[in-house]
Amino acid sequence: MIRAGVKRGTAELAVLSILQDGPLHGYEMARRIEEQTKGALRFTLAALYPMLYRMEQRGWIRGTWETSNSSGRRRRCYRLTPTGKKKLSPLRREWAELFGALRRLTKVSHA
Amino acid sequence: MRDWRTFVQSKLAKLALPPGTKAEVIDELAAHLEEACAGFRKQGMTEEAATRLALSQVKDWHKLQRKIQNARIKENAMTNRVKQFWLPGLLTLVLSMGALALMEKFGPKPWVLAWSAGLPVAMLYIPWLLSLPLVGGIGAYLSHRAGGSQRAVFYCIVFPILPFLAATLVVLPFSLIFDQFIAHNVAPAALLMALLGWVLLPGVALLAGGLPVQIFVSRRLSSGRITGS
Repeated sequence: MIRAGVKRGTAELAVLSILQDGPLHGYEMARRIEEQTKGALRFTLAALYPMLYRMEQRGWIRGTWETSNSSGRRRRCYRLTPTGKKKLSPLRREWAELFGALRRLTKVSHA
Repeated sequence: MRDWRTFVQSKLAKLALPPGTKAEVIDELAAHLEEACAGFRKQGMTEEAATRLALSQVKDWHKLQRKIQNARIKENAMTNRVKQFWLPGLLTLVLSMGALALMEKFGPKPWVLAWSAGLPVAMLYIPWLLSLPLVGGIGAYLSHRAGGSQRAVFYCIVFPILPFLAATLVVLPFSLIFDQFIAHNVAPAALLMALLGWVLLPGVALLAGGLPVQIFVSRRLSSGRITGS
């Protein structure tokens, strides 16, 4: 059964997945997601930060201010918490379930 | 080069967050816009085009302000309120109503308390009243464990009598005044009996269990803090 909140869940999955590789600040996170999905997923500032703050409130990610060695700029970097790591696998399962259901519905098959 | 911090600060002026948190949000969003603008510049855009494209990421600043506020405050506040008050309170209500239903069906006959010689009467389910201290204790423990304030804990303990209190204070007087089949001279006695049977005695029973639990848990917590410090 696919939950109604799966759409939001997929966006959260994208963030959790990208943070698996290491801590990132918001802009870099959005840039990498866009790059790795070849532009299929794009996070604007307006979409990204309310979601990051919500995920932080739930304890899935944690943000800390860090200063870049190269540019000297202060950036708020987010990293996965143990709770966030646990959240990844059920979200992945829902994602796979959603795509499986859509594939069956539209009868699209892999070549 | 644009002062992004001042720009974001003006757009999120009404963001109702603690000053430190608000400043962090402004700094973070300003840094994002600055970086986005720099990224577009690297792609060969003019300053003006890059700024316009960076700004196009936010269509409605009021909406963003509301979403940020909701994300940073409301969800947490709601979760706390649910954990500290609504869940323990509703649990005590369900437990007490469940116990009452069981007593009515399977328990001994209620003790009928009459006002002077005639009506009205109050039916007292003694086993039910005896079960209420446990219910009050459970409510107090759960609310306290979730970090509820003393007031929240108190309301959780007496939660099951609140519907009766509301009914007694609002519905019953209305029905007594407007119902032509009930004599007016019965009203004060009926109100008193309803208060006694469904509010005062159950309330005392709930508090008899809830207050000692509240005191005990508070003392244990404070002694734990002293030991911990």
